[in-house]
Amino acid sequence: MREEAHRFGRGRHLVGIAGVPEGAVGETGVIVLNAGLVHRIGPFRLHVELTRQLNAAGYPTLRFDLSTLGDSSATGGGQTRTQQVCADLDDAMTLLKERAGCERFVLVGLCSGAQNAHIVAATDPRVSGAVFLDGYAYRTLGYKLRHYLPRLVDPGRWSRLLRRRGAEAAAAKPASEPVFAVAPAPREEVIADFTGMVARGMKLYLVYSGGISNYFNHARQFRECFGRVMDHPAVTTRYVAETDHTYILTGDRARLLDGIGGWLTRNFPPAVAGRHA
Amino acid sequence: MSMRPEAELPFFFGPDDGLFGMYHAPDLPPRRAVLMCAPLGQDLIRCHRLYRQLAQTLAREGLAVLRFDYHGTGDSSGGSAEVDWERCVADTLVAAAELRKRARVDRVIGFGARLGGSIAMCAADRARLGEVIAWDPVLDGDGYVAALDAMQAALREDAERFTRPRSHADVAEQWLGFDIGDRLRGQLSALTLGAPNVPMLVLDSLPEWEASRWDRLASPRGKVAGISPPTPWNDLRRLETAILSQPLIQAVSGRLKESA
Repeated sequence: MREEAHRFGRGRHLVGIAGVPEGAVGETGVIVLNAGLVHRIGPFRLHVELTRQLNAAGYPTLRFDLSTLGDSSATGGGQTRTQQVCADLDDAMTLLKERAGCERFVLVGLCSGAQNAHIVAATDPRVSGAVFLDGYAYRTLGYKLRHYLPRLVDPGRWSRLLRRRGAEAAAAKPASEPVFAVAPAPREEVIADFTGMVARGMKLYLVYSGGISNYFNHARQFRECFGRVMDHPAVTTRYVAETDHTYILTGDRARLLDGIGGWLTRNFPPAVAGRHA
Repeated sequence: MSMRPEAELPFFFGPDDGLFGMYHAPDLPPRRAVLMCAPLGQDLIRCHRLYRQLAQTLAREGLAVLRFDYHGTGDSSGGSAEVDWERCVADTLVAAAELRKRARVDRVIGFGARLGGSIAMCAADRARLGEVIAWDPVLDGDGYVAALDAMQAALREDAERFTRPRSHADVAEQWLGFDIGDRLRGQLSALTLGAPNVPMLVLDSLPEWEASRWDRLASPRGKVAGISPPTPWNDLRRLETAILSQPLIQAVSGRLKESA
């Protein structure tokens, strides 16, 4: 396996690292998008570990910085962010096709990376699979019941809450500086996107963490959020309550990577990847 | 930020092409170059944007700049658990040689934040750095190790991050997202740095000013300058917030203009 550093794209404005296993020509390539504002190595080097593990399993990979993130520049083309993301991913797929012969691609994104991967996966026929980590989610009735009911019936919580409010007022929190944030998209639109993705043969892997407990708190919520499409055999879901949003603990990260690797191997075996419907 | 894309070249170099670097070329042939030594662990990720901004500023002012990742960090080869202090210093020597070759200059100035500053200080003699600019460098590794251990212990039951506290085993042998081996822990615990044998500027933005903190660096060639506001290096609540500092960029750029 070799890793190559590239400056690429229509304006040679993008920077990324391609991992090209020996003899991987023609197989499905995996492209990893930025998580929030973190540069291409990913939170706690998650994307480096992921791409190298996938390279070892035979998958060509590209971890890269979208326009204006990490080491990538702006094109100055006056595009909307959505147009820019689609164009950047087009450049990324072109590069991985040149370097490894990939015709089909699996996109991996965490948080806003999942949002960006979703945008491209919904429209680009070259995308045959996607891994959405803490992607779109909505507070459902089930979420609210699971969240509020235990609190309502626990008197200890009321007294703790009152004490905490007093303490918080005394010690002001630092200014809010969000690094990861997913802007909401209309739920019906997202459901339609998922439905369209599986209808055209895409495979989806949705992994949600306990780190987004302010809007997601149970494995049942996939179905509550997105309806019957979550029962489709092309969709795999996983809820990992104990872990945080960015997989700061190395054991959690290792289990996440094994999960992604296993899902890829089952759905896009390296020997036949890129030749599915 | 839009700029000449070709002015920034990503590449691999060093033994087995295992080190990742980003070379920033100025418009005209440079007379001096700056080697930017990254900090380790989460500080590296938090400083990435600032390092890029500083490199672009210095390149616009006519200096050649190399940013790079040590073995086991960033985009360089090796696993995070393989990070080794001696290897970081050795990689810095390799990077300094690479920078001299690419920029075709002999005079290289080292810059680094936190442990990156400490690495630049350690490498100064052997890498023939003409000067070191260190931002809040770690001079006594035992205090640094204790601080990271304390933050890792607090992380275990950080209710902002986990729905319920994690086990001690879950958080063991790691510092804020990265595996930590006994070797690096021992190397950092034993770290004690004095003034390097080259001119040095310390930029101090540590939260509490202690006049004696940098005493051991005092020499006719050593200078300390405060920059503000204080930098929240060790704040668990800002662990994933980028470190940005325009005053730092101005201070480094100003120093290099002064010494041109």
